[in-house]
Amino acid sequence: MANDDIEELIVITTLVFLLAPAFLVVYIFIHNRRKRRFIEEKAQFDAELIKTQMEIQEQTMQTIGADLHDNIGQLLSLTSLTLNSIELENPDKAQQKIDAAIELNLKSIKEMRLLGRLLHGEQLLKLGLEEAIRSEVTWIEKSGRFTVVYDIDGDRPEANNADKDLILFRITQEILNNIIKHSQAKEINIKLGYLDTGIRLQIIDNGSGFNIGDLPEAQKGMGLKNIQKRAEIVGGEVFIQSTPGEGTCVDIFIPYP
Amino acid sequence: MSYFTLTTVVELVCFLFAVICLLKDKSLVWRSMVVYLLLTCITELVGVYVINHTSPHNNQWVYNIFILLEEGFTSLMFYHLLNKYINGKPVIIIGLAIFLIFYTTNIIDHGFLVYNEHTYTEMSVVFVIYSLYFFFLLIKDERYIDIGYSAEFWWSVGTLFFYFGITSVNIFDAKLDNVMLNGHHLNFYIFRVLNLILYGCWSYSFICRKWLTTISKSSL
Repeated sequence: MANDDIEELIVITTLVFLLAPAFLVVYIFIHNRRKRRFIEEKAQFDAELIKTQMEIQEQTMQTIGADLHDNIGQLLSLTSLTLNSIELENPDKAQQKIDAAIELNLKSIKEMRLLGRLLHGEQLLKLGLEEAIRSEVTWIEKSGRFTVVYDIDGDRPEANNADKDLILFRITQEILNNIIKHSQAKEINIKLGYLDTGIRLQIIDNGSGFNIGDLPEAQKGMGLKNIQKRAEIVGGEVFIQSTPGEGTCVDIFIPYP
Repeated sequence: MSYFTLTTVVELVCFLFAVICLLKDKSLVWRSMVVYLLLTCITELVGVYVINHTSPHNNQWVYNIFILLEEGFTSLMFYHLLNKYINGKPVIIIGLAIFLIFYTTNIIDHGFLVYNEHTYTEMSVVFVIYSLYFFFLLIKDERYIDIGYSAEFWWSVGTLFFYFGITSVNIFDAKLDNVMLNGHHLNFYIFRVLNLILYGCWSYSFICRKWLTTISKSSL
């Protein structure tokens, strides 16, 4: 082999020997950057999860507060009034009023039990997403303002994902809150479908609807953007269709488990 | 022959960085780098002196002593680095045992005045494996560290480049001896480039070490 050939061979080999560790170092840098992004995303996810938990608690407290004031408070006031109006001189009428007071009292106890169940909201989620949504439906129906149809399609997968259940439950609460506050709807249809690849939740109302483009930025940020952000954080998608005067359909798909 | 060659100057600069950055370091292992670099500089200067002032002109025995220090201090640092993730003791002890077998065998076979080339090749391969193993553990670890400012990472990068290059030079040593470029053997240039990379990375790692220490103190 000529001297020039040897020289060339050695230079190339040396370069290869220097390039190999250089590529390795570059790979470590790229991998490390990915690791950082993953950690940041996880931290964001955890923060969102805590926020969701807090919001669910807050929502529960608001419902309890409203129920104590509007429902149980009224029932107990009525019981008190009924008992105060008893005239012992008239035993027949007194018996009727005592029976009415007992009935009111039983209603209060029933309401208190429902409240107790609501206070264990997280335990409710442990029973499954469908049960948690059912409890929400029960509360909405109690107001008497809405007719709610709640359907469940498919079988719940054996392996569940508590984080995704929590997020989806909060999204449901948020959508239902929007319907109650803004839609003036009479009917609400909730469909929870277990598919092979995920969960599909569809909430349709026959309310006033809206034009998504016309919503003020602040309002979008509070409701729709929150729903979209939360669905995205668990790899899901949200489709919103709304026609003014005809109602709104919110369609959510989340890969599951 | 001048005492101030590119290699000795780079080593001296790295030693100065070590003195400035590591002298008050909380870790004994990092502080030991100051001693190691001082001994490296002394060895280089003694090597130049011996080759100029003794007859026959042979300074290989100087480097046969130095290789013991090189193996000892570098293994100590790798032990410190690997220990962050695993129990590094068995890995390092195995490396030291292989080194001692090579070293003793070579000294018996060729004597103390002939450069311990095989041992150096074995040592380089082992250090490359240690570096790769450290990177593997770094990648596998779930915790994130900013490697751009990681003293451990840059120390290992320098070490990997140097010993990886040295291994290639050792493999082609016989051929390299025949190749002359501007009046010097080709390995003369390769060693200079490798030295620049090694001491450049190490100096930067010492700066990172000092910088991180300052940050952690100020955050307390």
